Amino acid sequence: MSTVVKSNDLCYLAIAEASAGLRRKDYSPVDLTEACLERIEALDGKLHSFITITAERARAQARQAEQEFASGKGRGPLHGIPIALKDLYMTKGIRTTCHSAVLEKWVPDYDATAVLKLDEAGTILLGKLGMHEFAFGGPSVDAPFPAVRNPWNLAHIPGGSSSGSGAALAAGFCYGALGSDTGGSIRTPSAHCGIVGLKPTYGRVSRYGIVPLSWSLDHAGPMARSVEDCALLLQTIAGYDAKDAASANVPVPDFGTGLREGIKGLRVGVPRAGWFNENLGVDAATETVFNQALEVLKNLGALIVELDGKPFSIARKANQTILVAEAYAYHEKTYQETPMKFGSTVRRRILEGAFLSAADYLTAQRARSALNEQIRANFKRVDVFAVPTAPRPPDTFEGMDPNEQNLRPSFTNPFNLTGLPAISVPCGFTPDNLPVGLQIAAPPFEESTALRVAYAYEQATPWDERRPAL
Amino acid sequence: MAKEFTIEDLRVLANLAGLTLSDDDLQRLLPGVKRAQQQVAVLRAIIAPGDEPAGVFIASDGDRK
Repeated sequence: MSTVVKSNDLCYLAIAEASAGLRRKDYSPVDLTEACLERIEALDGKLHSFITITAERARAQARQAEQEFASGKGRGPLHGIPIALKDLYMTKGIRTTCHSAVLEKWVPDYDATAVLKLDEAGTILLGKLGMHEFAFGGPSVDAPFPAVRNPWNLAHIPGGSSSGSGAALAAGFCYGALGSDTGGSIRTPSAHCGIVGLKPTYGRVSRYGIVPLSWSLDHAGPMARSVEDCALLLQTIAGYDAKDAASANVPVPDFGTGLREGIKGLRVGVPRAGWFNENLGVDAATETVFNQALEVLKNLGALIVELDGKPFSIARKANQTILVAEAYAYHEKTYQETPMKFGSTVRRRILEGAFLSAADYLTAQRARSALNEQIRANFKRVDVFAVPTAPRPPDTFEGMDPNEQNLRPSFTNPFNLTGLPAISVPCGFTPDNLPVGLQIAAPPFEESTALRVAYAYEQATPWDERRPAL
Repeated sequence: MAKEFTIEDLRVLANLAGLTLSDDDLQRLLPGVKRAQQQVAVLRAIIAPGDEPAGVFIASDGDRK
């Protein structure tokens, strides 16, 4: 069951609405913060989306923002907005656990670059969010913190690895969140929780101060309840950072400009053949909802172009090979010293990387070059790609089958391998009332195009108005 | 045709990697390792001699931090 709520429900305001209300003095940053903290207190016992709640710090930041508003020192659209962070963003003086016993008590002495930028923008940090342990594997059943539950149905997983970010936003616990994405970890929980998540171009947002999973595939990015909110968050955290070796020194456009320009004449590529039917293929209910979303895009003036999906299908194999090799390289020393501190799922996944040779890894990186070229060549024919975000609705905790997951196509991996920006936007529900996501991927550093398509779709459909009944 | 990868092969590799794993651990790992090797075989088949690994060393990047 879901209910339609009015936009005046304080906890479900969009960031842009909340920001306008703060400027009008309809309410204060303290009001927003207290509303979120009350809701977390009342409901997060069901979801476990937070690992650490920084209530006192949040209240102090809210009071400071209130004073700044009173004295006319506005810092921009995120000023006074309560947010939360996936618990792999390093936060000075606040423990950063990666949802693992390995780092259960670790308190970093510096902030990640994205965290600093959000702080400078005047956001209020509510706390640190649950995730898959070290952003790897699946829901952590034997970690020191409980696994995050899906607000739409507590028996189901919320998707990962940024599971707390997806669940907390869907539950109205915060207005924006940061996630990270190595194979789909922003977009999958966004799809499964019915919210919006953007994986920017590789290099667009600094990874400095984010605990790595796989250096060459990790992306940092925003999650929110609307496309415009994602654009506002991205605007704040994007930009060159000399502390991140992969940071791209390219101009950051105004992501709000062009958001409302529509998609008439835009060519949308659907790489269906040779990908959607891979092994078990895409779930029937998901494909039905996706095809309906394509009709909406068509009605908005877009042209749908069918593409060869084979290179996208193979991309998963390169992504997985690189991911496990780099993950093992990062965790090797800790694993050798304290293997039992890792949960059983992540222990098994990390070890898969131990048995790949250097030649295997470089084969995957060479294939990455070839596949990148083949996939990007499609941009001569189309402006964006559209695919379902996830091949099937979220599993139940009881029915999770990692082997079956491997037999479904991954619609997110190819955009980590190629570094292309990709956004997930809610596009409907299955007959069981579980959210489905539409994914739009654009050429490198064209987040604005992905945002424009997602915004046009969002404005034409009612999905962002539905809330889980908690 | 490539020889079937067995638990004994995995034990040898684990020893070389300095890992102490029980028979149960090895048994649990075997499907994932086999899958990883099959994936690499598919990738090997699509690369051309001129394909260089993605990501190149840039000498001037040393002073970025």
